[in-house]
Amino acid sequence: MRKPDGKIVLLGDMNVGKTSLLQRYMERRFPDTVSTVGGAFYLKPWRSYNISIWDTAGREQFHGLGSMYCRGAVAVILIYDVNHPQSLLELEDRFLGLTDTASTDCLFAIVGNKVDLVEAGAADSREKEGHGPGTAGGGGGGSPKVPKPVQLEDAVALYNKILKYKMLDEKDVPAAEQMCFETSAKTGYNVDLLFETLFDMVVPVILRQRAQGPPQTVDVTSCKTPRRTRSGCCS
Amino acid sequence: MMSTKAFTLVSAVGWELLAGDKERVHVECVECCGKNLYVGTRDCVVHHFLLEERALPTGTATFSAAKQLHRHLGFRKPVNELRAASALNRLLVLCDNSITLVNMMSLEPVPSGARIKGAAALALNENPVNGDPFCVEVCIISVKRRTIQLFLVYEDRVQIVREVSTPEQPLAVAVDGDFLCLALTTQYIILNYNTGFSQDLFPYCSEEKRPIVKRIGRQEFLLAGPGGLGMFATVAGISQRAPVHWSENVIGAAICFPYVIALDDEFITVHSMLDQQQKQTLPFKEGHILQDFEALQVMYRRILQQAGFIQFAQLQFLEAKELFRSGQLDVRELISLYPFLLPTSSSFTRSHPPLHEYADLNQLTQGDQDKMAKCKRFLMSYLNEVRSTEVANGYKEDIDTALLKLYAEADHDSLLDLLVTENSCLLTDSAAWLEKHNKYFALGLLYHYNNQDAAAVQLWVNIVNGDIHDSTRSDLYEYVVDFLTYSLDQELVWKYADWVLQKSEEVGVQVFTKRPLDEQQNSFNPDSVITCLKKYPKALVKYLEHLVIDRSLQKEEYHTQLALLYLDEVLRQKSGTSSKAAEASEIQLKLQHLLQKSDLYRVHLLIDRIRGAGLPMESAILHGKLEEHEEALRILVHELRDFAAAEDYCLWRSEGRDPPYRQRLFHTLLAMYLQPGPTAPELAVAATDLLNHHATDFDAARVLPLLPGTWSVQLLHPFLAGAVRNSVHARRTAQVALGLARSENLIYKYDKMKLKGSSVQLSDKKLCQMCQNPFCEPVFVRYPNGGLVHTHCAASRHTNPSAPGPGART
Ligand SMILES: Nc1nc2c(ncn2[C@@H]2O[C@H](COP(=O)(O)OP(=O)(O)O)[C@@H](O)[C@H]2O)c(=O)[nH]1
Ligand SMILES: [Mg+2]
Repeated sequence: MRKPDGKIVLLGDMNVGKTSLLQRYMERRFPDTVSTVGGAFYLKPWRSYNISIWDTAGREQFHGLGSMYCRGAVAVILIYDVNHPQSLLELEDRFLGLTDTASTDCLFAIVGNKVDLVEAGAADSREKEGHGPGTAGGGGGGSPKVPKPVQLEDAVALYNKILKYKMLDEKDVPAAEQMCFETSAKTGYNVDLLFETLFDMVVPVILRQRAQGPPQTVDVTSCKTPRRTRSGCCS
Repeated sequence: MMSTKAFTLVSAVGWELLAGDKERVHVECVECCGKNLYVGTRDCVVHHFLLEERALPTGTATFSAAKQLHRHLGFRKPVNELRAASALNRLLVLCDNSITLVNMMSLEPVPSGARIKGAAALALNENPVNGDPFCVEVCIISVKRRTIQLFLVYEDRVQIVREVSTPEQPLAVAVDGDFLCLALTTQYIILNYNTGFSQDLFPYCSEEKRPIVKRIGRQEFLLAGPGGLGMFATVAGISQRAPVHWSENVIGAAICFPYVIALDDEFITVHSMLDQQQKQTLPFKEGHILQDFEALQVMYRRILQQAGFIQFAQLQFLEAKELFRSGQLDVRELISLYPFLLPTSSSFTRSHPPLHEYADLNQLTQGDQDKMAKCKRFLMSYLNEVRSTEVANGYKEDIDTALLKLYAEADHDSLLDLLVTENSCLLTDSAAWLEKHNKYFALGLLYHYNNQDAAAVQLWVNIVNGDIHDSTRSDLYEYVVDFLTYSLDQELVWKYADWVLQKSEEVGVQVFTKRPLDEQQNSFNPDSVITCLKKYPKALVKYLEHLVIDRSLQKEEYHTQLALLYLDEVLRQKSGTSSKAAEASEIQLKLQHLLQKSDLYRVHLLIDRIRGAGLPMESAILHGKLEEHEEALRILVHELRDFAAAEDYCLWRSEGRDPPYRQRLFHTLLAMYLQPGPTAPELAVAATDLLNHHATDFDAARVLPLLPGTWSVQLLHPFLAGAVRNSVHARRTAQVALGLARSENLIYKYDKMKLKGSSVQLSDKKLCQMCQNPFCEPVFVRYPNGGLVHTHCAASRHTNPSAPGPGART
């Protein structure tokens, strides 16, 4: 078994589509998922690194395991369902606390999944009209296409709250616009973008951690990790 | 009671052995160490059995347990736990909150009476931190509240080394190095007893379910989690493996890498730690203890192997292969089933007890040839698959030799592939086999692989000569030539040079011409090769062509010799078939080409040789080489009457020479056409053609007087038009040049006049433009723009870049 160089953890209420997103990305398909028990992970080679991505169980029963999964994580993906405002609230109430064990420079991404169920063009019209929460009606309606009950701004607001909670300076972390995504595991919309944007951001964090933290095992390859400086004549 | 064995259950100890004449016996704990099985009962008795494994012909194994002895410990309490410390020959027995050391064989307590008191549970450190091999690190959950104690246990004494207190009451413990993995009342934690640092893992409600803590390897533990999960955690508090999913009622877990075995009230389940998949479920009711058993894996493999042979005997090859692979079968077990396949030198003997009941394949197939062939095909593909994997480590010779034998016998194409790539076929065994099956070509390859090229070539030569028969290659002769061409064994090449040349001069000579160049310098230098080729003129021609044309060697000898050989051949052809003489043969063209292109051969020698041979073209070329153009052209014009050739001759000979030389040649030819006397009409035609085609190569003024007055202007129109155009062009060009020169001259005159035209007045008021001082002497420098400066100022201006001053000094 290859040892992963960094860990990314997916958190969120059950049924928001964590397992589906991960399978869509790793296996390029959208199969019927069974409710995740405990947790599962994939190893994703990215550049010269191996990143492990952990899918967790959203069920209350397994909540206690979350802290352990998050321990040392370089990034946490918080997932909600754009059709269920409650799932966004849960992120703050139940899941944020689990990330206390993540590494100090852990990155956060907030992802609204299942946008395919939202009325087509809802996102566009919102952009034209300006901001503010849109019409929140018809959340669990029978119609497959409904106006989007949770707006991207809500996710941005949560992201900023997280920064406060973590006592992070906005200047030191990626901007909310970069870290809030809307996806569909069903259609694949934004799924690659989400994971690959995050992988690219995570690589410098891995490098920094290797350079700073005293590694638990002597890793010959990381000894030479160059600290990026601005010096050099023609870069 | 507990039965050991994942994957298939085997009853190891029968009930009656334990119970004896008692009606009930309640097993509390078991411990396995090598072949020793210990059982602790509720009525304070420890039983010792010796396990003997026996294989059944069906492929399964059975265990028989031979009871050694049992001992009552003298309390009224159950035996809670048993742990063997084989290095000390001690069994640690936890009973009545006290750990006693007893001899593993006699079950007698140590004479010193050493014991650990106040223990509720114990764990051995399998990754001890102190280096003493005769000392075991034991960790106990103390009967004191929230206390863990660590002891060093020697053969007959115990020593407490540390006591740590825990935040909650510990219920289960496992140790690895400095790390304790503890199940507390509400959660699991990792505690470094050396630094006191504690790391939370995850919450767990011990009141609902009994916790499980198992060390699975260095710095990693397996824990019972919520919802029947088997959770993995490292000492750093990180989960590196996804959890395995047990039932909610799991009672115990054991590790048999890479499997996790779990016991609940109905089943024993087997999961792989590598992919978390459940591999097997065995119904097993009323189990209540699960204990590791290190012999398990060896046994498991053996069973897979046996199962593999059962499948094999039924010709279920795919299944057999899978079982052999997962059972890590020593392939020689399989090879040994096939008569004569293992090399005579092989040290292999079949495992005992045997994995199957068959003496050999004949017995297994009962002489059925069809089955036999299938089995052989299977072995072929199986060996081919495993030969480059780690399965083959240590037995490469046996595998490759067996494979060679199978291929040879089956006349399989892969035989050659095997021999031309890296292989470990044993020479003597394989050679005898190949010979027996008339695989002489392959045998040659085998010799070659074993650095016996002489033997290889001798064999192949024998095949080509028809002395022995093997039709593997129809192009074997070419193969041998090729082989010798790239052979580094010079002696061998010389030895067979005559043979290959006798077979075919043209092909055989390749052993010299296609040799890598560096080798052609020394042993195969041209002189040695030429000497060898004396007897083979065709080969010699090819070889000289190689030297002269391909390698462009500038040595007179080779060029002359090649030309002479060509000439000989041309003469031979001429004398043979006079009918074909009209047309220049291929060889004659080659000769002409060489005579034209090469400047190295001895011209006079060749002229002597061809004199009177009726080769006018060749002699024209040779005369040309000697600059005897008249003679050459005479031959071409008068003997051959080949005017095109004469024209070509002029072009050829004037290549790279100056235009007058060229003109001279053309004039010579023209003169020959226009010789006084009765001019043959075709010569006149040739003359006009020449003039018309090469108008620019003639001096028209000199040509005109030569022309007969009877010729019409029309006839020479192209020549005359060309000549006139040429001369007009020359005249106009000259006029333009003249005009340009005149105007240039005029410009200079004008400049001169301008400079001379005006006078310069020098007075006190005129100041030097540079230093602004008056001129004191009638000497000055004037710039083209009229500016006046001192001579010395003008001189310094050249070194003073800041000075003003346009233009150059005049
Ligand atoms: N329409 C739609 N359904 C989704 C999407 N993602 C997941 N689902 C469905 O939502 C349900 C729960 O998904 P799952 O991945 O198991 O959620 P998890 O509990 O967060 O792992 C499943 O029925 C999925 O098919 C999505 O993007 N669009
Ligand atoms: Mg899931």
